[in-house]
Amino acid sequence: MSTRTAGLSRTTKGAVIAAVLVVLVLIGYLALSSRDTTGADGATPSGMTDSYAVTVGDDAAPATLTFYEDPQCPICAAFEAEVGVEVADAIEAGDVKVEYRVVSFLDHASKNEYSSRAANALMVVQDAAGPDVFAELHRILYENQPAEGTDGPDDEQLIAWAVEAGADEAQVRDGIESGAFDQFVANATDQMSQDGVNGTPTVFVDGEKVDGDPAAAVVAVRDVVG
Amino acid sequence: MVAGVRDWVGVVARVVTGGVWIVAGALKFPDPAASVRAVRAYDLLPEAIVPTVGHLLPVVEVVIGVALLLGLLTRPVAVVSALLFLAFVVGIALAWTRGLSIDCGCFGGGGFDADATEKYPWEIARDVGLLVLSLWLVVRPSSRFSLDHALFEDKKEGTR
Repeated sequence: MSTRTAGLSRTTKGAVIAAVLVVLVLIGYLALSSRDTTGADGATPSGMTDSYAVTVGDDAAPATLTFYEDPQCPICAAFEAEVGVEVADAIEAGDVKVEYRVVSFLDHASKNEYSSRAANALMVVQDAAGPDVFAELHRILYENQPAEGTDGPDDEQLIAWAVEAGADEAQVRDGIESGAFDQFVANATDQMSQDGVNGTPTVFVDGEKVDGDPAAAVVAVRDVVG
Repeated sequence: MVAGVRDWVGVVARVVTGGVWIVAGALKFPDPAASVRAVRAYDLLPEAIVPTVGHLLPVVEVVIGVALLLGLLTRPVAVVSALLFLAFVVGIALAWTRGLSIDCGCFGGGGFDADATEKYPWEIARDVGLLVLSLWLVVRPSSRFSLDHALFEDKKEGTR
């Protein structure tokens, strides 16, 4: 049937089909890259240190811990449950300061994008009320982390926790509801990957990455704050 | 007779490789930024092309998969398929030998995986299997139920 109806040489037909496939790839490529907003400009929360870090504690503290964390990450919650109190005490005593790098890549593990909403809420609180209130909301969020694959706390709950942490509702409501720092969090997440960090929690001690499993991170943190 | 059996092997090769490509590519569509990070985690490509590769790969995978499933330009598409599987085998093997502990990101996802070193051999074995099926189609692209058959072969020759 083909030789009679098509009337085109085999080579021409092959070239046409190949061209169609290439065009399909290009269209798909443009669609995917247009949906990736990484690197786009977004509002930056005030008081950030080193672009994407919220630093909690005394600037003059002798040791610096860096934590990359996603609010929806269960191992981060386990990590915080394990060392959170000791870290807070060490910050209080002026022994250590902690750079929190809040990222979000676990929206797929939530039915209502809890990961990015909670990360945004942390940035809104940092912007409105500073690192100490941020640290308190951070503690509350990990103590109440939703299970993966469920509906996480809604924006109202995030606002209530922000207020409980010490923020002024009038200063955080709009930002939490509108996702004021969604783009900032997306850029922070890309920066994490560019920093060679492929998962959370990842801990750096005085700028040195702690390799190995989450248990190694706990040991490394205890070495500093213990 | 033998040619008939081979035609059926070709169908199996097309369905398996094509199906895997479509699933692997489509699962990456919802989160293009994650695809970019998964590519970056291998730490093999220069940063300047990492985002492009991360956005291109899922689309190429789906288009290759559909073409293989339909039996469209089977030989050239199978060449691309084989080259990509070869690249993935090399990429995973390098991640393994360099001590990286990453999810291969083969079906979306990516990033740190504490159990990665236990999974690398199975991922490599799977991709080698898919590479072999692709090579079969490079060597012998003709198979049953293919669009190539309808488009490119004379009716009188297409009796087998």
